[in-house]
Amino acid sequence: MDKIVLRITRSGGKRVSYEVKYRKGMTVLDALTEVREKQDSSLGYRHSCRMGICGSCGMTIEGLPMLACQTQVSSLNKEVISIEPLHNLALVRDLVVDILPFFDLHRSVRPYLIRNDVGERDHSDREYRVLAEEVSKFLQFDYCIMCALCYAACPTVALDPFYTGPQAVAQAYRYMADPRDEGWEKRIDLLDTSHGVWRCHMAGACSFVCPKDVDPAKAVQLARMEVLKKRVLRKRGREGARLVSPPMVGAAKEGVKPPPFDFGGAKE
Amino acid sequence: MVETIDHDVLIVGSGLAGMRAAVEVLSRWGDSGKTVGVLSKLALMRSHSVAAEGGTAAVLYPEDGDSLELHAWDTIKGSDFLADQDSVWKFVSLCPIEIRQMERWGTPWSRREDGRIAQRPFGGHSFNRATFAQDKVGFFEMRSLYDKLQEFRNWTRYDETFVTSIVVQDGVFRGFIGIRLRTGALAYFRARAGIIATGGAGQLWKFTATSVSTTGDGIGLAYRAGLPIEDMEFMQFHPTGLIPTGILITEGARGEGGYLVNSKGERFMQKYAPSKMELAPRDVVSRSMMKEINEGRGFRDEDSGLSYLQLDLRHLGKEKIDAKLPFIKELSMKFIGVDPAEEPIRIKPTAHYTMGGIRVDGKGRVLDGDGRFVKGLWSAGESACVSIHGANRLGANSTAECLVYGRIVGEDVAAYLESEPRVPSPSENSAISTEEDRIFTNLFRREESSADVYSVKARLRDVMDKSVYVFRDEAGLTDAVRQVRALKDEFRGAKVTDGGRVFNYNLQDVLEVGIMLELAEVVAQGALNRRESRGGHARTDYPNRDDAGWLKHTLALRTADGPSFSYSPVMITMWKPVERKY
Amino acid sequence: MKRGQRFKSGLVSSLNPSGYNLERWSYTVHRITGVILVGYLMAHIFETFQLTGGALAWANTMSTLHSLGPMEMVGLWLVAGSALYHGGNGIRLILNEVFGLFMGKPILPVYPYSPTSLGKSQKFAVWIITAFVLALWVWAGLYLLAGLGVI
Repeated sequence: MDKIVLRITRSGGKRVSYEVKYRKGMTVLDALTEVREKQDSSLGYRHSCRMGICGSCGMTIEGLPMLACQTQVSSLNKEVISIEPLHNLALVRDLVVDILPFFDLHRSVRPYLIRNDVGERDHSDREYRVLAEEVSKFLQFDYCIMCALCYAACPTVALDPFYTGPQAVAQAYRYMADPRDEGWEKRIDLLDTSHGVWRCHMAGACSFVCPKDVDPAKAVQLARMEVLKKRVLRKRGREGARLVSPPMVGAAKEGVKPPPFDFGGAKE
Repeated sequence: MVETIDHDVLIVGSGLAGMRAAVEVLSRWGDSGKTVGVLSKLALMRSHSVAAEGGTAAVLYPEDGDSLELHAWDTIKGSDFLADQDSVWKFVSLCPIEIRQMERWGTPWSRREDGRIAQRPFGGHSFNRATFAQDKVGFFEMRSLYDKLQEFRNWTRYDETFVTSIVVQDGVFRGFIGIRLRTGALAYFRARAGIIATGGAGQLWKFTATSVSTTGDGIGLAYRAGLPIEDMEFMQFHPTGLIPTGILITEGARGEGGYLVNSKGERFMQKYAPSKMELAPRDVVSRSMMKEINEGRGFRDEDSGLSYLQLDLRHLGKEKIDAKLPFIKELSMKFIGVDPAEEPIRIKPTAHYTMGGIRVDGKGRVLDGDGRFVKGLWSAGESACVSIHGANRLGANSTAECLVYGRIVGEDVAAYLESEPRVPSPSENSAISTEEDRIFTNLFRREESSADVYSVKARLRDVMDKSVYVFRDEAGLTDAVRQVRALKDEFRGAKVTDGGRVFNYNLQDVLEVGIMLELAEVVAQGALNRRESRGGHARTDYPNRDDAGWLKHTLALRTADGPSFSYSPVMITMWKPVERKY
Repeated sequence: MKRGQRFKSGLVSSLNPSGYNLERWSYTVHRITGVILVGYLMAHIFETFQLTGGALAWANTMSTLHSLGPMEMVGLWLVAGSALYHGGNGIRLILNEVFGLFMGKPILPVYPYSPTSLGKSQKFAVWIITAFVLALWVWAGLYLLAGLGVI
């Protein structure tokens, strides 16, 4: 194809069409940039990194929430591409939506490492000992770039504006599964509410659209199981990972010699 | 009516350095009632720091043979001896503390078998000291800092607020004037302490690894406020940027054993850096690559017209790539349809890191043209030039610098606010109304627009790509300066074509391009003046380093006729400059 | 956050699964069958309550029902289908949500991405339940619709 048409739903609900010359390897973001720079400088949309890591460019493309920067025009297989803002968030202008409520929901689950010994957490000189297998229990959920695509896809969010949302619940679980965290009990109470984890009905749309394979649906069910473990099985929170033992600073390990180093005559 | 918003500390830029400084300040205050405002022209967490991939360098294991001395030496030699050595020493001493602190705040560093933090080889380092979190170190560090910030109460976030000028009066910082994109209204942010952490200026080049937002705002605004900016001609071109976009492929790919290959299938680094090979510092590798391309041993991409070389990861095997370099695999498959386990990746040097920036001292305090502290103003991260990286930065040292200097600046700010009495600020009304006029009267209401902002921007970036790239010469640089000045003149006729107030990105573009043009002039002119090759500044007509004449930092001050240059000495405390061989 | 201000939120949007994954389609059917069952429950209670009005009231109720003709049995058949689907899918959901079955474990994402919670195991569970439900529904149809002359 040599040209495509972007049919964009702009402010006030009106649909405007823009014709753009197609280039091989063009992404939807490239096409939008063409429109803004060459045809209509008033077109509003967010973007920044253009490599799928900052999460700015979320929008609804052909009915599904996607990141514009990593959606190849050729993969959509259409000559007329319809673009509208991300669902479930208030429209501000054109394709720009109000994401602050989404960030507030994230904050509400206390998404940071909670330790009983705060002094140790903030002032020690060593790290916590964590094995690679333990990291892999939560690392997948730490891939979240906070793009809000899952939030836009979730049918519960569509009905309930106070639902914590797949992203926030997944982040709560990320910390609950982190072996260093000691805030398990507190987060259970935050999730076990009328607009909390019980509202999920496993439609899986969140995982379907997630651009980084965070699989929030899995995280929500795992979080739900943690809540059940406390309420039904009376499980208690465990102690967090301990600091590594003090390193033998200065003493060389058995058989390891520091390499002889030549400063090239520079040392005074 | 321009709204005035008061805080005790204001931080512009919410990347690694900005958020680290915010966390440091907030941790020291507890519930003291003092507040911090974090301003960003993007939403928080969207900053370019998330794109950093490879690693954060630190001496974590002296018992295995690493040492602070070695890290400092690697950094100073890597900087082509332009780094200020006392600051480098302080920097390397704090890196290990920062890594461990980040770990305790939740960063999922990759681990060794014994549960301690793992490290891997990286370019220019004589010991495997790049701490990594898969291959998305910047992203995971940003997540940890952003999440940590959620713990504090007494800070306010000002997302999508574009700062348009810095108000400095009588050598004292007063505040920032910015546009709240949400409403389109100008606001005056007032504070006793301000931290600029807005990052570098990679977008001056068309082929760049940086985000669209990396337009050098903080550096440009400091320049406009009459503050000196340092070493701007030193731009780092990272060897492996994807064709045709410039998107970064981490140095960690070479750290894990990847090869750089020319059209003859040779590992050409053998000729240029026989002992370090692909893990020589980035400027050495980029120059070697461009030499190969210029001498005809490169490939050519028909669609974009760009030349390229190959990064071969096939011999690493699918499992290693999936475990250690998953983001690279994703980028390569998503953007150019290449699976690195099956085919080599097409790459070329891409504009990546700005060694230069706002002139600061060892504590991140911004200095004016006479070397005096601009009271109440600091800068940290890529936007600052201490200088730790001198003429060339080693890989994994920038994320480390952001964390270390975020901490140093945060500490210094907190101490400053304890000791300094509150000074009644004079009226800033004149500064505010000048700004209002500049933006809303002139840019919006101009009748005719004789310049298309986007065309000027595209041409500027083409000029920089062509003449101020890895290799530079007198003719090219003179032409670049001339063209940039012509574009500056043309740009005077630019006007904002989007008449809306809410989220007017066109206005932001116009303001950004104005800044970019000024910075481009400083870069091109500074490069033209510096008649030697050092680190990231390589001239084919002056191919050698000239310590007798040019072992000094470039300082640029804004005047009505363009930048005026002066020079300041390099602080040498530990090692004399020697020949830089790898 | 006023719901009315959000872009394309609301009931229709939440029930519209077009373009999405299989599990989201099953969510929509689960919701609709749930509403049908609630409606049927209320109607059934009302109908059975007529018994308390004596033989005459009950005979009236029955004749009202029979006057619907074939629709009475077809309606019951649809309710039977709803109960089978809602129950069967409900079991799958309980296995997912309470026991974590068919979800997969946390993994390290490798491109191209395929979330484990929507993977082969989950799809298998959906289809096996659907097959079972369909079989029973057909059998219920044979039973309920036999006397109608329809089949």
